[in-house]
Amino acid sequence: MAGKYIGQNYIPPDHVAKVMGRARYAEDFRADGMLFTKLLLSPMPHARVRSIDTSAALAMPGVKAILTADDLPDLEGAERALTNEPRYAGEPILAVAAVDELTAAAAIELIRVDLEPLPFVTDSLESLRPGGPNARLEGNAWGAPPPGGQGPAAPAPLETIKWTAEDFAAAAPGQLPMGRPLEEWSYGDLDAGFASAALVLDETFVVQSTGHHPMETRSAMAYWQNGKLFIHASTQSVAQTRGSIARWVGIEPANVNLICEYTGGGFGSKGAGAVSSAIPAMLSRKANAPVMMRITREEESYIGRARTNMTGRAKIGFATDGRITALDLFIVQDTGAYGPLGDHRSAGLATSLTYQPPAMRWRAVNVITNTPPRSQQRSPGPMQANGIIEPVVTKAAKQLGLDQVQIRRMNSPEGRAEFGPVLPATGRRNRVTSAFVKDALDRGAALFNWDAKKARAGRRQGSKVRGVGVAVGPHGAGSIGFDSLMTIRPDGRLYVQSGVGNLGTHSVIDLARVAAEVLDMPWEKVEVTWGDTGKHLPWTCLSVGSQTTHAMTRANHAGAMDARRKLQDIAARDLGGRPDDYDVRGERVYQRSSPGRGLSFAQAAARAIALGGRYDGHELPEDINAMTRESATRLAGLGLMGVAKDTYPRVGATYSFVAGFAEVEVDVETGGVTLVDFLAVGDVGTIINPRSLLAQIKGGCCLGIAHALFQKSVVDPRYGISLGDRFHYSKPLSILDIPARMDAHALDMADPETPVGARGVGEPPVGAGYGAVMNAIADAVGEDVFRRSPVTADIILMSLEHGARMHEPLRAHV
Amino acid sequence: MEFLTWGRNPWDQSILTHVSWDLLWAALFAGVAFLLAHGGYMLLSAHRKRHAAETDALEAARPDLPPRIVRHSLAARLFHWVMAAAMFTLLVTAFLPIAGVRFAWVTWHWMAGLVLTASILFHVIHATFWLDFWSIWVGPRDMPELKAEVMREFGHDVPGPRPGKYPLGNRLYHFTIVIAALAVVVTGLFMMVRVRTPFFTRNPYLFGDATWGLTYVLHGMGGVALVGLVMAHVYFAVRPEKWWITKSMILGWITRRHYLEHHDPDRWKVRGAGPAARL
Amino acid sequence: MAVIRDPMPAFEFFQPTSVEDAQALLRRYGADAWVLAGGLDSLDWLKDRIKRPAALVDLGTIPGLKGIRDVDGGLEIGAMTTLTDLVRHPLVRERYSILLEAAEAAASPQIRNQGTIGGNVSQDTRCWYYRAGWPCYRAGGNICYADTPESINREHAILQADRCVAVNPSDTAPALIVLDAQMVIRTAGGTERVVPAEDYFVGPGIDITRMTILEPGDLLTAIRLPATWAGATFYFEKVRDRQVWDFALVSVASAIIMNGSGIERMRIAVNGVSARPLRLQAVETLVRGRAADEMTAVAAGNLAIDGAQPLTFNAYKVPLMRNLVKRAIRGVEPATWNS
Repeated sequence: MAGKYIGQNYIPPDHVAKVMGRARYAEDFRADGMLFTKLLLSPMPHARVRSIDTSAALAMPGVKAILTADDLPDLEGAERALTNEPRYAGEPILAVAAVDELTAAAAIELIRVDLEPLPFVTDSLESLRPGGPNARLEGNAWGAPPPGGQGPAAPAPLETIKWTAEDFAAAAPGQLPMGRPLEEWSYGDLDAGFASAALVLDETFVVQSTGHHPMETRSAMAYWQNGKLFIHASTQSVAQTRGSIARWVGIEPANVNLICEYTGGGFGSKGAGAVSSAIPAMLSRKANAPVMMRITREEESYIGRARTNMTGRAKIGFATDGRITALDLFIVQDTGAYGPLGDHRSAGLATSLTYQPPAMRWRAVNVITNTPPRSQQRSPGPMQANGIIEPVVTKAAKQLGLDQVQIRRMNSPEGRAEFGPVLPATGRRNRVTSAFVKDALDRGAALFNWDAKKARAGRRQGSKVRGVGVAVGPHGAGSIGFDSLMTIRPDGRLYVQSGVGNLGTHSVIDLARVAAEVLDMPWEKVEVTWGDTGKHLPWTCLSVGSQTTHAMTRANHAGAMDARRKLQDIAARDLGGRPDDYDVRGERVYQRSSPGRGLSFAQAAARAIALGGRYDGHELPEDINAMTRESATRLAGLGLMGVAKDTYPRVGATYSFVAGFAEVEVDVETGGVTLVDFLAVGDVGTIINPRSLLAQIKGGCCLGIAHALFQKSVVDPRYGISLGDRFHYSKPLSILDIPARMDAHALDMADPETPVGARGVGEPPVGAGYGAVMNAIADAVGEDVFRRSPVTADIILMSLEHGARMHEPLRAHV
Repeated sequence: MEFLTWGRNPWDQSILTHVSWDLLWAALFAGVAFLLAHGGYMLLSAHRKRHAAETDALEAARPDLPPRIVRHSLAARLFHWVMAAAMFTLLVTAFLPIAGVRFAWVTWHWMAGLVLTASILFHVIHATFWLDFWSIWVGPRDMPELKAEVMREFGHDVPGPRPGKYPLGNRLYHFTIVIAALAVVVTGLFMMVRVRTPFFTRNPYLFGDATWGLTYVLHGMGGVALVGLVMAHVYFAVRPEKWWITKSMILGWITRRHYLEHHDPDRWKVRGAGPAARL
Repeated sequence: MAVIRDPMPAFEFFQPTSVEDAQALLRRYGADAWVLAGGLDSLDWLKDRIKRPAALVDLGTIPGLKGIRDVDGGLEIGAMTTLTDLVRHPLVRERYSILLEAAEAAASPQIRNQGTIGGNVSQDTRCWYYRAGWPCYRAGGNICYADTPESINREHAILQADRCVAVNPSDTAPALIVLDAQMVIRTAGGTERVVPAEDYFVGPGIDITRMTILEPGDLLTAIRLPATWAGATFYFEKVRDRQVWDFALVSVASAIIMNGSGIERMRIAVNGVSARPLRLQAVETLVRGRAADEMTAVAAGNLAIDGAQPLTFNAYKVPLMRNLVKRAIRGVEPATWNS
């Protein structure tokens, strides 16, 4: 539904503050008598606190309070902000509040913590070996979640699983051993699929873990007033973080006022806030003073979350024309010290969707290790699946003599494509709302000059050789059922309440563009309120899983339609006729047959207040969330209220896709890779905000490019301590690593199962960038040169030098 | 003064790293102090020596003895000097860098250590099968000799036993050096695993921190002890009244006169006659 | 006593305006003093609370230590000259373009604005075990955590390791060695000592806790580039993971003066393979009088890696160093794609 606002660039209202440095992030706030806190982190990867002696620290002038795990509410086994049983090196054990950070740090150096070392493991396969260590006292892997219906999923059970020596012996060097899985699904006739295949490949790939490392660390400042917690914290999702903080602190959500107008990035690490924010909150209560917790980059590398690393083995059958006949996928996931995370499940589903195998089996083990905790990282699962599956597809295309775009196009989903196993609830396989992947591939191949670039690939010039690669990144891209809240007030302006986090994607504001479009409200008369749960926000989706644009454009479409309806109702009531006789346009509601007959929005708003009831929010719909109800109640009487829950129908699952195209130049004498050209085309539904959308596509691709080329996490296995706590060790992408030529496009084809047509975009580009770059390297130097990422100079050079892969085949965190 | 140096391992646990290098200076100081004390004492003391006439009489009584009596076989002398060279190299390579003279010492050190080890092995086998193994050993049966020697040191002419082949001081020194050398050799061999050699894959994690700490401390203590011991040894070797013993370690033999003057012929029996008398 | 890695503890901060004053301060504080140049190495140590000096002596306020002077057809570069100033200087570009390339390969634009040439050559190693504060040889302990059967040592040494397997991170060091730069040191005693660049660096065999020959109280004041190699045929290459803000996996620098079709003389140095940048004199001797062609390059490359001993994860450095030495001699054929 492109229009006046939808599909048009605009300057969001937070831009100037960001560019001028006036935007205030959690760390920028101050309060009278504010204390600072520093954390004492566990030096051991797994240990039990025997005793803590804080006497010398507490005796120091300026030290006000010390918080330990004993001061925190029990979260039924879930991760807490502080612990008495650290499960990874770097896990916070206690926090000291003092008048300044120097004092707090000096106090920490006076604290004696007596730790009893416990068995630990940093590599998931080591934990699966017979007699291998368990990362936790209760077990070493998360089992399958109990089958549940709607509502929050029940926690998965902790299990102990060991594979047999025979399981390990059965795998060739470099091949993932496949013992008993803890989770499994399948559909179709796998055996028949493989039997009919002309080519069957069986390959193992190691996907690394990478830290999220948003620019803003998870700093937070908290104070209490009249029994209510005020907290400045960094989160991706404002509305839903209020509940998380309440749970972590052990109080009612209504007693939490979260302020977060600006978030310096999250990438999934601050989905519903950060559990560490309980530290300043609880410490502030204990010290009876505001407490600021500034998280350092080093601390962020421990507590700041990371992607789950996976080792995957894929056996895929291909017909001579390249069509996939069967796919058998086994994943060992390292879910870190906590979890459980579901990346491995998303990887299985994404594989089924992206490559459309007629028969497929997915098996997985979700192993716990004593490494920093994981959380969903931008495209959690589907990106890792790209790493595992793409090398096999690339190799098959080479062996069958097929074009790389062609083999992906023929196996790609189209329309309402089915994926995954048969769902017990429906008795049918799930399907997507829409997929236009073939269009994206065709458009991309044309824009990228694929054929011309392909013609020069693989030919050496001096020590340089070029290669081209393509990959499709999929990801779930939208949820449903959230609420919208807005008011048209007697000043004639539209006030849209946004519970979305301002994490850089602009969806926090974009949702109001839909309301402006529906109500034909001039953008300069739209005020968006966001970033403070004290400012009456509606129940909003988490800004994770690329769902916000889809979920909140739907909700705000519903809310704006509700306001529109109320405008029509009031006009019909005051001016006669039926509501449907009235049109809403040009800040007026007027009779279509005689446009002079109508009310301005300002008049209508005043009338709504006079009428009360449902018009100004004194009567509310039954189906909205309690949080929305609370907020709407407080806004009642301010004007004409649009308030609604998104109840638009949707049958399938919403997915977005990005096709990535890369050209690399590899120097075969150094192993160095230069990404010379990159292009991405998004199949992401209707474009809401073109500039931001293309930035999202490029930015997401950049994350994938970093994973393909250099970013990693490193853990010393002897001591179980992370070594990559500097950016020059962990190597995230820098601005100068972005290729000189990088382009992004979007199909702008509407999704048929959402009123606005928009799907999410944040995540699918990651797998596209990751897969395309690795495929281009394979194209340049050979598809068997590497079986792990990042694909660094050492891997390439050694393989070329020896004519075989020389890197440690399955070891993680190197 | 601290005797041990402690560190914190990556888990922030306290670990022993090595002895305090203050001990090196302490050993050097102790060695010099002993030298001065002993030298001063020897200048001023009433150390009881045989009168020349006594020795003349003894020599006249034993015309059957050859003029030169073999004290150290060629093999024994070779061992001694190889060991001495190795020991010297070891001490120099160990302690000069600590004293601030910087050079690449590690390879020289472990190579010398291997030479020392080999020479000790040779010595043990040689002494066991070809020499009178117990002649250098000390034990409770040496108490009367100890008493007599101490009395003689204080100027008394007492009848008690005289030394056999090796004077008691010599044997006590040997005993001490056996302990110190075994400590450094055994620990040193394990410590070779901590550095790069052609023999093993380098593995500093072969033992835990505590075992390694003990190993380094023993090595260090043996090392600093050897500094003092070697100083004393060299000191005695160059003392004029001991020169005949030093000479024997070079030439292999002593004169009949020295033999009779300093040794108890019953406890060191020189059998047969002729220039190549057997030991 | 628990360990905490932030914030920077307090210290006395001095900004002397002369070398004499700086050295007087260093004398006064002895082992508790810390010399600050650009701060890019120092601040890591200080913020991590691993190095805990009582006093910082900032050289940034000494006017005589900055700037580039033309001296007899060569250059004298003040030790506190920033890498950016170095890169932008016309005479550096004209005579010693290799130093420009090397300096420009260092870190990131922001770091080059702040980082100095003196600091770049004198910086400590970036071994991640050592920099994490682990009590290794270099930190005064008796173990190398980077050379064990389990260590992760992709970035570590293949040559001249002695217990410690750390490598020198400097990008400008090999270029300076190639230019036969003379390092001007003012000793703690106040005398001037001039040493060739290749002798400025020290390996772990000689001193396992230091990277350079600077004794406590010594200051590097200037670097003199003689005219000898001005305008030679230079080659510099740094292989790294990221194109910016990354240390070299291996780097190579060379200067060649041709005589007809043969190499009259050459200087070549590599870094990233050992705790000190290595001048490859055997290679210099080998190539003398030979053509700068593939055959010479292959022989030189093979000679260069003689004696290399890789660790678990850094065997690639052997062919990488070999290939870079080859390229330093025969150059790189440019690719002609117009992308």
